[in-house]
Amino acid sequence: MMRRRNLFCYLMVMPAILMVLLLGVYPMLASIRMSFLQYDLLRMRDGTPFVGFKNFQDIFADPRFRMAILNTFLFTIIVISTVIFLGLMIAQLLNMEFRGRGFLRTLILVPWVTPPVVAAMIWMWIFNPERSPINQILRAAGLIQVNIRWLTDASSFGPFSIPMFAVSSVRVWNGLAFVTIMILASLQSIPHELYEAAQIDGAGALARFRYVTLPMVRPVIAILVTLLSLSAMGHFEVNYVMTGGGPRDLTNIVGVLAYQRAFTHYRFDQGAAMTTVILLITATIATFYIRSRFRES
Amino acid sequence: MIARTIPIRRIDWQDILRRFAITVFAIATFIFVLMPFFWTLKSSFQTDLEILAIPPKWFPRSLTLEFYIQALKLAPIPRYMLNSLLVSFITAVLCTTFGSMAGYVLARYPFPGATLILAFFLFTQLIPSITRIFPVYFVLRDLRLLNTYVGLVIAYVSFSLPYAVLMLQGFFRASYPIELEEAALIDGCNWFTAFTRIILPISIPGIVAIATYSFLGAWNDFLWASLILNKGEMKTIQVGLRDYIGEMGLQQVNAFMAACVMTAIPAIVLFRFAQRNIVTGLTAGAVKG
Repeated sequence: MMRRRNLFCYLMVMPAILMVLLLGVYPMLASIRMSFLQYDLLRMRDGTPFVGFKNFQDIFADPRFRMAILNTFLFTIIVISTVIFLGLMIAQLLNMEFRGRGFLRTLILVPWVTPPVVAAMIWMWIFNPERSPINQILRAAGLIQVNIRWLTDASSFGPFSIPMFAVSSVRVWNGLAFVTIMILASLQSIPHELYEAAQIDGAGALARFRYVTLPMVRPVIAILVTLLSLSAMGHFEVNYVMTGGGPRDLTNIVGVLAYQRAFTHYRFDQGAAMTTVILLITATIATFYIRSRFRES
Repeated sequence: MIARTIPIRRIDWQDILRRFAITVFAIATFIFVLMPFFWTLKSSFQTDLEILAIPPKWFPRSLTLEFYIQALKLAPIPRYMLNSLLVSFITAVLCTTFGSMAGYVLARYPFPGATLILAFFLFTQLIPSITRIFPVYFVLRDLRLLNTYVGLVIAYVSFSLPYAVLMLQGFFRASYPIELEEAALIDGCNWFTAFTRIILPISIPGIVAIATYSFLGAWNDFLWASLILNKGEMKTIQVGLRDYIGEMGLQQVNAFMAACVMTAIPAIVLFRFAQRNIVTGLTAGAVKG
């Protein structure tokens, strides 16, 4: 009986496991393998010999890749810190009682389901230098004399540049809703008595935020930071569509560079080595995350 | 009569200041969130002359649908939309079927290896999909599934499945007591019919959420569609839009913005329809954990 029931269970999970193995786990392993081979589509006559760590040595010697790694971390940090800060603020507001709250809650979710390509297109139009409403407002306010070239200004300060901030802000726009609803849900789970008790004890608004709200939302923020850094490390769409990594690679992140290396330069080996670097970083974060979640339950 | 005392409240200046600061800040953020929609909409109604004016004009002179009709002729946009619709719909059906089968037994029967299987799904869910693009491309090529709808659907189903399994597993676990199945088994159901006749019909909210989630994943995707299926009329709408702007640049921005509006609308409407279920499913896991 027990054995028949277990058989039933395995049959039920089998389709899902097979599909995830075929296009989830196997490709990850195959990608690692590919990064140790010579896999150059223009030199396929030589076959695909094993070359050890050569691809990794090559990409780490390549200034474009080193820049892409730096940019990926920069992009991740800018996006996460902005999105968490804004999300915390908006969630606070949406947690207050006022008319039209339900309507606002729905509105704030809309960018979340806007397709990333459409989001990128819309913002490219908004960032068109001569016709940008932002430039128009900044000019009218007397803050700038020359239009800002949001996506093409190639001057930079270290890794910081205007296109990098422009691209990051589009990602923030697309991802803000998710963060807001997660924080909002945790705010709503805080019992009201906690605030009343704090108020009776003489805590002002800032103290209540510091000693009641923050400790209660901290677990959710920890989860969000983990999930967002995992997805930002492998981000692709917005940068690829808006700038293709330019100008001067200022917005080039590892995902985009790897894609170009493979499908433009036919160097699948180097592309695979780059994504393997992402895999190593994200797998480390993911393992810690999974362990902490399973320990709790 | 009982005298009612009116509590004398100290004015909490800190609180007022905080509310004021948050409100100002939030209004700025709402402008940031909503301005792009306004800009897209207004652009989709402006004539060629108006839209290319420098400095930009904020309001269209008339609300004509002319550019929406033009958008349909820009590129085979209706065809691209139908392609996306077909692929996303089949993805949603398959993903929901396989996801609920696996989610159900993982939630209900503590069979050997269940925890390991859950960890396995969670791990593949967390790793960004960019780390497997090249081999996926070669696997589908070797199966002769490049430039076919079947190939794209298989890819989407397998990428959405981990989250579907995890979320439905949590849903089945939280939603009803184990006695429900025990009663069904006594009444003559077997394990499978207990699942299909008793559990599934009362799990509609979770299933709607996952169907919508996987539909949107496929509808909004660009990376995989551009890799797997980029031939002529078979393209999905996201690839079609991107290729159009790549070729045409700033010509006919108005019609192009109209096309963007039409692409976003199905996603927004569908999401609005299942919003409550999705948000509940999403937050339940993270807030508790």
